[in-house]
Amino acid sequence: MKCWTRRKIGCFAGATCLAALVPRVARSKVSARVVVIGGGAGGATVAKYLAASATMIEVTLIEPKPRYTTCFFSNLYLAGLRSLESLTHGYETLAQRYGVNVVHDSVKAINPGGKTVALESGAKLPYDRVVLAPGIAFKYGSIEGYDETATQTMPHAWNAGPQTRLLRQQLESMEDGGVFVVVAPPDPFRCPPGPYERASLVAYYFKQYKPRAKILILDAKDSFFEQDLFQDAWNRHYPGMIEWLPAQFTGGVKAVDLKGLSVKTASETFPAAVANIIPPQMAGELAQQVGLADQSGWCPVDPITFESKLQPGIHVVGDATLGGEMPKSAFGANSQAKACAFAIAAALTGAERAAPHLFNTCFTVLAADDAVSDAISFTPSDGTIKISDILISTVGESAEIRRQAVRQANGWYAAFTHDLFG
Amino acid sequence: MTARCLRDESASNTRQIIALSISASLVFFVADRSAVADNGRGAQLAAICASCHRLDGRDKGIPPIIGLDEESLARAMQAFKSGERSSQIMHVISLSLSNEEITSLAHYLSSLRMDTKRP
Repeated sequence: MKCWTRRKIGCFAGATCLAALVPRVARSKVSARVVVIGGGAGGATVAKYLAASATMIEVTLIEPKPRYTTCFFSNLYLAGLRSLESLTHGYETLAQRYGVNVVHDSVKAINPGGKTVALESGAKLPYDRVVLAPGIAFKYGSIEGYDETATQTMPHAWNAGPQTRLLRQQLESMEDGGVFVVVAPPDPFRCPPGPYERASLVAYYFKQYKPRAKILILDAKDSFFEQDLFQDAWNRHYPGMIEWLPAQFTGGVKAVDLKGLSVKTASETFPAAVANIIPPQMAGELAQQVGLADQSGWCPVDPITFESKLQPGIHVVGDATLGGEMPKSAFGANSQAKACAFAIAAALTGAERAAPHLFNTCFTVLAADDAVSDAISFTPSDGTIKISDILISTVGESAEIRRQAVRQANGWYAAFTHDLFG
Repeated sequence: MTARCLRDESASNTRQIIALSISASLVFFVADRSAVADNGRGAQLAAICASCHRLDGRDKGIPPIIGLDEESLARAMQAFKSGERSSQIMHVISLSLSNEEITSLAHYLSSLRMDTKRP
């Protein structure tokens, strides 16, 4: 097999009948229907690989946004090293090359008994399997005064797009000498190195344009991923600019004051010229509504098929899962999504199912010419996912190795987003 | 969910207007995907590679893996696995693959050509 041919034999666009929103694919050839909800790294990957590998399955992808801005690499935008446009991708190729029915709408409800997905527009989509890739939701209220409205004053910028742009604007408007406060969330949360990469890359921006500015990280934890690599980089690139305060020193962040622009911990109140509050997280809203999340706030899944342990016939991939030792990352979501797509294809069509492999690879950029990486393989074991092998960059690597990692990071982004959307 | 946020932006519109605007923006392509599905073992293993390497060979900054013969690919993977070739990412990936899987993967990748329209 080299490539398949694809022939566009018709199209439909009209407003006369909402029922027509149900995708119309050559019915006689369809043996099963899969609805994928959420067009991020996990959802786009499931839709694409399922459509590519199982031609008799009709795949519908539901995503409200016409274009998707990646959260990964958005810290490079904050640093002024990438445009937001360069991080934004459309779904045209998934539709046109792979035959995925891309529907830009929102899900109102899922009926597991009737096996239908109801859309806000009124359409009902029947399914044999449904896959949720709902990403994360924020636990508003866990920090006093920080609710959805507050994100317009103190952005979380943990879903890329308008929030990221707002944070960049605030950093640009900030006077030299101001303090940028980053509130880092408790585990587990999306992108474990993310808050610290953000501090690094905002420091990169400050070093050029606001050299007297300071960055204060108020952490909900007492340690963080790749801590030695970050602190080494901060000392080398941005001496005296970044201060990290673990929870054991502050007692944790308790409240924000939007008018006074300050962040209050158990022991002290910190004024902020700009505050980036990354709240505690849980599985996305729809997963909570459908009853896919347990008391942890995340969705327990079979580690081989990613079928929910709470709702048979519904699969969950990506950040929303209770993924054992897998971190919540776009790469991890992509890896889970492929395992899920091949498992569904096997279940619905009898296709061959090879043993699943799960990985995470992460490039973390510390400065324009300094990046580190990690690579982790995982094995489904005892109903969960465990680390098999792990290798992480080390302190003291040569400048050339770090420069090479920056080039690899940019190459990875291009290839990875092509894997999702291209 | 982000879906909810986006819907809120148009919450003041009537359902009819929403339906009109959504429907007008939708184009449902009716695809004939009747060609043979590519879901064999080699394709499933190659999906691992596609997270970092393009399967059309158009990589920039990442070494391309398309256009190489089967033996070279298998030899490279074995060298990464043993540590003879240095790359922490490739070492971890290849360690997770059995020798049989490396053979299947190399066979499949060597069958792909530049610009082949694969995921």
